[in-house]
Amino acid sequence: MIECRGLTRRYEGRAVIDAVDLDVARGELLVLIGASGSGKTTLLKMLNRLIEPSAGTIRIDGHDTADSPPHTLRRRIGYGAQRAGLLPHLDVAANVGLTPRLLGWDAQRIAARVDALLARVQLDPATYRHRDVTGLSGGEQQRVSLARALAAEPPLLLLDEPFGALDPVTRDALQEELRGLREELGLTVVFVTHDMNEALLLGDRIAFLEGGRIVRVDTPAALLRNADSPGIDAFLRAPRRQAERIEALLGAGGEGA
Amino acid sequence: MRGWEAQWAELPRYLAAHVELTLLALLIGLAVSLPTGILASRRPGLGRWVLAGASVLQTIPGLALLALMVPALAGLASLTEGLGLGSLPSIGFLPAVLALALYSVLPMLRNTVTGLVGVDPSLIEAARGVGMSPREVLWQVELPLALPTLVAGLRTATVWVVGMATLATPVGGTSLGNPIFAGLQTRNLSAVLLGSAAAAVLAIVLDGIVRLAETGFERRSRARVGAAVALLSALSIAAVGSLAGGEGSGAGREGPPVTIGAKSFTEQYVLAKLLGGVAEGAGAGPVAEVPSLGSTVAFDALVSGELDLYVDYTGTIWATILQREEPGVDRAAVLEEVRTRLEEEHGVVLLAALGFENTYCLAMRGAEAQARGIGRISDLVPIAGELGILGDYEFFERPEWRAIEARYALGFREERAMDASLMYEALRTGSGDVISAYSTDGRIEADGLAVLTDDRGVIPPYDAVVLASRAFVERAPRVAAAMRALAGRIDARAMRRMNAAVDLEGRSPANVAAGWLAACVGTSGVCEAH
Repeated sequence: MIECRGLTRRYEGRAVIDAVDLDVARGELLVLIGASGSGKTTLLKMLNRLIEPSAGTIRIDGHDTADSPPHTLRRRIGYGAQRAGLLPHLDVAANVGLTPRLLGWDAQRIAARVDALLARVQLDPATYRHRDVTGLSGGEQQRVSLARALAAEPPLLLLDEPFGALDPVTRDALQEELRGLREELGLTVVFVTHDMNEALLLGDRIAFLEGGRIVRVDTPAALLRNADSPGIDAFLRAPRRQAERIEALLGAGGEGA
Repeated sequence: MRGWEAQWAELPRYLAAHVELTLLALLIGLAVSLPTGILASRRPGLGRWVLAGASVLQTIPGLALLALMVPALAGLASLTEGLGLGSLPSIGFLPAVLALALYSVLPMLRNTVTGLVGVDPSLIEAARGVGMSPREVLWQVELPLALPTLVAGLRTATVWVVGMATLATPVGGTSLGNPIFAGLQTRNLSAVLLGSAAAAVLAIVLDGIVRLAETGFERRSRARVGAAVALLSALSIAAVGSLAGGEGSGAGREGPPVTIGAKSFTEQYVLAKLLGGVAEGAGAGPVAEVPSLGSTVAFDALVSGELDLYVDYTGTIWATILQREEPGVDRAAVLEEVRTRLEEEHGVVLLAALGFENTYCLAMRGAEAQARGIGRISDLVPIAGELGILGDYEFFERPEWRAIEARYALGFREERAMDASLMYEALRTGSGDVISAYSTDGRIEADGLAVLTDDRGVIPPYDAVVLASRAFVERAPRVAAAMRALAGRIDARAMRRMNAAVDLEGRSPANVAAGWLAACVGTSGVCEAH
């Protein structure tokens, strides 16, 4: 689905993304993870040309993304921004319907699509359709943002730390939501996070970035078996320790019962 | 308080002209500042320069900016004429509307830039992320989000322009400044109040309409936006309609139309009415008046053909138009030279010397002059150091003053420029000791002032002369002949009485002029109405 070759982005001579090769298979959920400044968000935004590459190529379904104007490219790719990025002067329905409207869908089709998507992300259309987006909670905003990204039925979804600012219960619910959606719709997803728990739970594969390079791409299970670098090991230590603690607590509880 | 009825009757015309001037200026200002602001918000370097330029423009005093438009347009007009594109009017509506538009640019430009730069960059990225093109991002995200700031700028500009538009009067544009300026000069406070109040109400109404439109956009209420647009259109249509109707006064008359100018003081208002009456008597068509013009604005307008007739003074022309450094002294010689050179160099015909001079003269409180034994300007020399002198706006900049100062070696304790009508008041209350009076001012006798003799003969003669453009004389020979017949018919005393009738008795210039016409048309020699 996506093939990146020699992808590079330089700012004032310094490479933030440095000759990255990356393939994402159709229907796969690839997580980009790394420390702050590792280049994961830059890499994601290069996929839909919110950031233009300094060098290298990106092919999506075999087509070089440099061949079409950036805004037409983006209308075919769902995008969920870090802070939801809902436009405050538009209501919920208008926000969700943005891309279909840009594509020139007729009003009736847009309205039907918006209602279906709101229902799909657990927001009752009748209640939420004409709500002001500034009055929504963080979780509700991310649901609307997710619905907006899916509105034009894109085969590919780019999500930039969508659940980073949410409380754990809401985050868990939305992660489940996303899991269900991608299975149901057969979506290809590239997902940026700095949270290894999230990466392990959601990812089919995890790409680990360090200093603008992908140092390893592997399945969660393989990563857990063999970290094989101090950087990755540091990222895995926290979820491992948490898992062990929880297991220990469950074990202790079991003995007491 | 007097003249309410007359002022009320004229108010719709002034108001309509004011509305038209304001709306058009704002429209032009908006058309300039919106694209410029958008461009500037995208290039911070350019933005700084543009804003700095607009700020400098803003620091030019409003009246000066309006006055500067006149020579600027005159220059442009000679250019367009040279290119065969026809001529541009350099007085009246056009310079006023352009200067006001320039003035309105800063608040709108600044707020456009501030508003656009202030839009949250993450929202712009989100908009790009869902597939908006740069143009769509601008129109669907940036401008709507910047709208409250944009509208705040528009509201500031609206209130400024409504106020500033009163200054259109001195460059020949009709506005609510007409009753204000005329009222100030003829001490008609009710006219000043009426003009000011109408301008204030207009500012409030326009501000309200803009606010209505703003809340309409914010709440996405078509009804509100529609109502605002409807109100604005109704206002413009009413303005244009009432102007079209208003200008028809006397339009039914046969004969060549006549446009008469007046500078901004009482004598000029009276004489403009008087010339109007004489012109009508000589079979002129519709007579239009352009009142309250600045001194050189009137002459330029005559040369460019926008005015047909007005009264000027030989000394003024000698110094400002003929650019003669040394004051001319011999009255007849100056008159002849002015007549010849105006005709040869400017295509302006001096039709008649009315028979009086309105010179600058130095005047003091009569009692004080008598007590100190001062009758001549020379007598001031030893005591000038303890005296303050008051002059009108232009006096201290004029060659006459420089000549007086140099030839008499006068060093006053203080020089202050102020509005001419306040000068006499200031002398009466002791805020000054000597004033630059006008020799035909009715207040000289009424206030018991002593006019000091120019014993060294440095003040040039100021014969009142009727000037016309050569084209007008050819077009309306009968009217020109009637003007020529005015030669020598009004002496200084007659003029001083007519001025006093307006300034001190509260009669309108039209009424005083009508009195003279009734008493004097058909007679000969110096004439005075009783």
